[in-house]
Order: sequence, then structure tokens, then C-alpha cells
Amino acid sequence: MTTAVSIEKTTAVPSPRGPRGLVWTLLRVHRSALWFWGMAVVIGVGALLWAYGPGADAAWAEFRQMGCDSGRPGLGCDLAGPAGGRYDTVVTVAAGFLGLLPFLTAAWAGGALIGRELEDGTAQLAWTQSVTPARWLAAKLAVPAALLASGTLLLTLLHRTVYSADGSLRTALGSPEWFRTNTFEANGTLATAYALLGLAVGVLAGLLHRRALPALGTAVVGLAVVASVIDSLRPHLWPVETLVDKHEYPEYTGMVLGDGALTSTGARVPDPICVDDAKCLAEHDIVGFYRDYHPSSHFWPLQLMETAVVLAVAAVAVLIAFGLLKRRTGAAV
Amino acid sequence: MSTAIPALGGLNRTVLRVHRTALVFWVLAVTAAAAALIWMYVIGDEARGGIAACVSPPRDGGPSCAEIGSITADERYTDGIRVVTELIAYLMFPIAAWAGGVLVGRELESGTARLAWTQSVTPARWLATRLAVPAVLITAGISVLVALILLARGDGDPGLVGHWYQSEAFVSTGPTAVGHALAGLSLGALCGLLLGRALPAAGLSFAACLVLYNGLDRVREHLWPTATHTATDARTFQLPREALAVEWTYQGDRIVGATYHPPSHFRPIQYVETGILLALAAAATLAAFAVLRRRTP
Repeated sequence: MTTAVSIEKTTAVPSPRGPRGLVWTLLRVHRSALWFWGMAVVIGVGALLWAYGPGADAAWAEFRQMGCDSGRPGLGCDLAGPAGGRYDTVVTVAAGFLGLLPFLTAAWAGGALIGRELEDGTAQLAWTQSVTPARWLAAKLAVPAALLASGTLLLTLLHRTVYSADGSLRTALGSPEWFRTNTFEANGTLATAYALLGLAVGVLAGLLHRRALPALGTAVVGLAVVASVIDSLRPHLWPVETLVDKHEYPEYTGMVLGDGALTSTGARVPDPICVDDAKCLAEHDIVGFYRDYHPSSHFWPLQLMETAVVLAVAAVAVLIAFGLLKRRTGAAV
Repeated sequence: MSTAIPALGGLNRTVLRVHRTALVFWVLAVTAAAAALIWMYVIGDEARGGIAACVSPPRDGGPSCAEIGSITADERYTDGIRVVTELIAYLMFPIAAWAGGVLVGRELESGTARLAWTQSVTPARWLATRLAVPAVLITAGISVLVALILLARGDGDPGLVGHWYQSEAFVSTGPTAVGHALAGLSLGALCGLLLGRALPAAGLSFAACLVLYNGLDRVREHLWPTATHTATDARTFQLPREALAVEWTYQGDRIVGATYHPPSHFRPIQYVETGILLALAAAATLAAFAVLRRRTP
């Protein structure tokens, strides 16, 4: 009966916006968020393009003027000048924004996208207007996900371009190495994956609380917990490489996981800190030192493994959200 | 007279009752952080022992390196202090979002505020209670945490707790912590009154705090006159221990002088920054009352 009525309605009064009415409504209701995201992407693209072109040029010019590329740089080369500082600030802020984005997304998704609509009954009204709850939720996930993913991918591509173009300038400015959290995420697929995880966690929190502000709080705290757990897994998602040296610690390079001393049986033991004392070394049976690390060539394996984990967690959150909605709204899904 | 005092008490109780989730959350957060800090205080001496100078092989009564190396308390201590330091330093963000969204925005949006104003509570007293009760609780909680973190940091060894001038450490170890939180509270209330809706107010409050926090971080080194140090020996130039360099003077590619902040500038900078934050909080509060008057003819 219900189906018959709804079919009649759609055929009798065709929406002037065609079949994409649901999407159009979504964009219209959340136009301030859409504006915010559009502006953020435009400003981010502008800032990164500036950093890639004039920003980097000015920083290079200043760097050469200070004689820092002379092969015997002075002490002052450890610190960025004004142009180098501006360049560094723009790149750092861009990466920082991408790091903050999942949390903003989670807060918005929990609070505005889902929580508020369930709290004030807009959602329940929509479900009576020939939009099934499942389609309602699918649209709420798909449209923001598409916009988030396209914007974030654009920003990460630009960040990568800037990052890979100015290696020695970055070293001179003391900019973050490839494995620092914000840089690592902004240089690959993780920024996008975490933004999508933020969306999924926010939607789930919104459906759980059905109220805007508690959902906002739970979404942010929940995402912080999930993200920090995954973050702590990061170095273990790909086999590490080990450097061994007989006399001293191998060179400090890349993402270091651990180091220590080796005995003659090959066992790893905590360093007794004998330094050069041969008697002490013999006493502890120390024959060498090791260091576990990820070289920069592990960037993509680590990046893709973690992206898979993040997306899997996001998928689980989405499934729970649909299950929850189904339970709430009866079998009407 | 006898009716006025219970009435004020009743209004305070209403704030506490309506926002009991926040109250419970705050009490739990402060208790947990305080417990962590007391723990850090207890293992503090052991942790300082863990990064002490050592001799190998043991001689002259100095501690042996194997012994020092086996101490793990220093890592636990560093992590514990860092987590609580960040918690205190970033408190203004949740406080502002809560004040804008829950404390003021939601009550205006849902009409609870307008209902209260018809129940013999004037709008000005309504707002005054909403600001005063959280302000007292926030000030008390943060003061306790700051006192405890100073105790737990002991001599503030930078090898364990970071440099005094690092943003989070600086904000969380003095009156500035209270200043940040109160500025967050009043900015949040102002945003709530300006927008009159919970979620936009929470968002705007958060954004305002983001600007304020990072702005202060940038201007901090200019809040107090710097000291100057000039090279005495032409070859080596070294600033005093734990100095925050502000500007270097070059001669060719050699550094011959610098302006800097010694650790003794910690207090004056703290006081100036707290003054700025309290002035800002006062201005935001006055603005909030002005907006409220315009909202209620």
C-alpha cells in the first residue's frame, strides 16, 4: 500500500530536480558545510601552489643569500629566515589542516548531519516522504564521502608535489621527516582514509545518540581513541629492516623502532652502556649493536596497509550504522 | 533578603543539574589527571635517576651505566607528563565548544532560556550564573592541576619534561592555563549568544580558540623585553642554558650575538599573557551581555 502511494506521488508530481532530489536536498540543507569545505579546498590549493612556486623560490633565494648552500654553512643556517619561515608555515599548516580534518568531519557528521536531524525530527519526516531510511543514510554517507575524498585527494596530491620538489630546502629548514604523523598522512592516501573514517564514526555516533551535541562529543572522542590505536599500530604493519654493526650503533635513519645490543648467540639484550670499555663488553658478551627501522622505501607499503586498516574500520562502522538504523525503524529498510 | 539568597542558590543548582553530564565529566577528568600527576610525582625521583650521568665500569662511587640503563621509569614519566601537559594546554577547545554549543547555544535554540526568563530570572542573571558557575569550577580544577603538575615536574629537567618555552609546557604550568580556559569559556558564551544555535556556535567557538591559541603562540616571545648576549670569544657563541633564542646577529656567516629569553622570563611572560587572556575574557563577557540586552528588548 505504502509503495503504491509513493510511486503514484513520484509519477504525479515529478520533482523539478529530477531523481537526484535527495542529493540536492542534502546539499541544500548542509550548504554552510559545503561552503566551508569548498573554501577550505580552494584556500588549501592556493596556499600549496604558492608554496610550490613563489614560496619555495623566495626561501631558496634567502637560503643562498645567507651562504647556506656553500658547503660549510654557518650556525644561522639551522634556523629559517623570514621567507623560509613563511614557506615552512604554509606547508605545516596545510598538513596540520589535513590532520585536523577527520575530527572536524566526525564532529560535523555526528552533530549536524545525523544527530540534529534525528533530534528535531527532520529525518523522521524525510522517511515519510518516499525516502526509505536506508536510502536516507546511504545518501548521507555517499555525498559527503565523495566530496571529502575528491577534495582531500587533490590536497594530498599537491602536498606531495611540494614535499617531493624541495628535499634539500626541507632538510635545511628542519621540516618534518617523511614519517612524522601529519606529513606521513598528508603525503599519501591516509589523509583521505582518515577523513572517511571520521565521517563513518560521526554518522555512527549520531545514530547512537540521536541528539546533536552528545553525538558531536562522542564522535570526536571516539575518533581520537580509534585513530590513536591505529596510529600505534603503524610501524608494525610492514616488516622492519635491521641494521647491524659490530662496534657502534648503525646510522640513525628513517623511522626507528628500537635498538639495542647483540650477544654472541645473536640474542637481543638491552644495552649495558659500556661505550668503549672492552672488559665491560666482554663481561656482557656484547658482539654488536642493532637498530630496527623503516627506510623511506617503506612509505607506500606502510601507507597502503594502514589505509586498508582505516577503511576496514570505517566499513565496520558503516555496517553497524545501517544495522542500528534497521533495528530502529523496523524492517522497513 | 532571605528569599534572594536561596533563589540564587537555586539558579546555581539549576545550572549544575542541567549540565550534570559536563559536571561529572569535568570532575572525572580532573580526578584522573590529578591521580596521574601524583603518580608522576611519586616516580619522579626514579625517573630523574634514569637519565643521570653514569660511569662505566663503576668507579669513584658514581652509578654504573648498566644500573642506570635498567631504569625504565623515565620513559613512563616523560609520557605521563606529556599527556597531562597536552590535556591542560588544550582544555580551552572543549570548554569553548561546550560553552558555545551546550551552555548557551542549545538553551537559546530550544527555548529553555526564554522559559527561564519568564520564571522570575532576568536574562542578565541567567547569563551571569551560566558564566560564573563554570568559571569557578574551571578555575578551581585547573588551579589544582597546575599546582600538581609543577610539583610532579620537580626541577623541570628538559630531558624529561621538554623545554619551558614549548607551547604546551608553557601554557600548562602557570596562571596562563586558567587564562586560556576562561577566555575559551567567555568566547564560547559570546559565540552562543551571537549565533543562538548550538552547532554553529560550537564550531565558531572552536575556530575562535584555534586562532587565539596559535596567535598567542606566535607573539609569546614578544610579550616581554628580551635579554641580549654578545659573543666574548670570536669562535664559540653559546647562549645560556635553556635560553629561548629570539633573534640572531650575524657577522658574515658567523653569529656574534643574539636576543633571547632566559628561563627567568617565564613568570613575566606568564603574567602578561594571563593579563591579555583575562582582558579578552572580560571583553567577550561584556560583549555577551550587550548582545543579550539586544536580544531581549
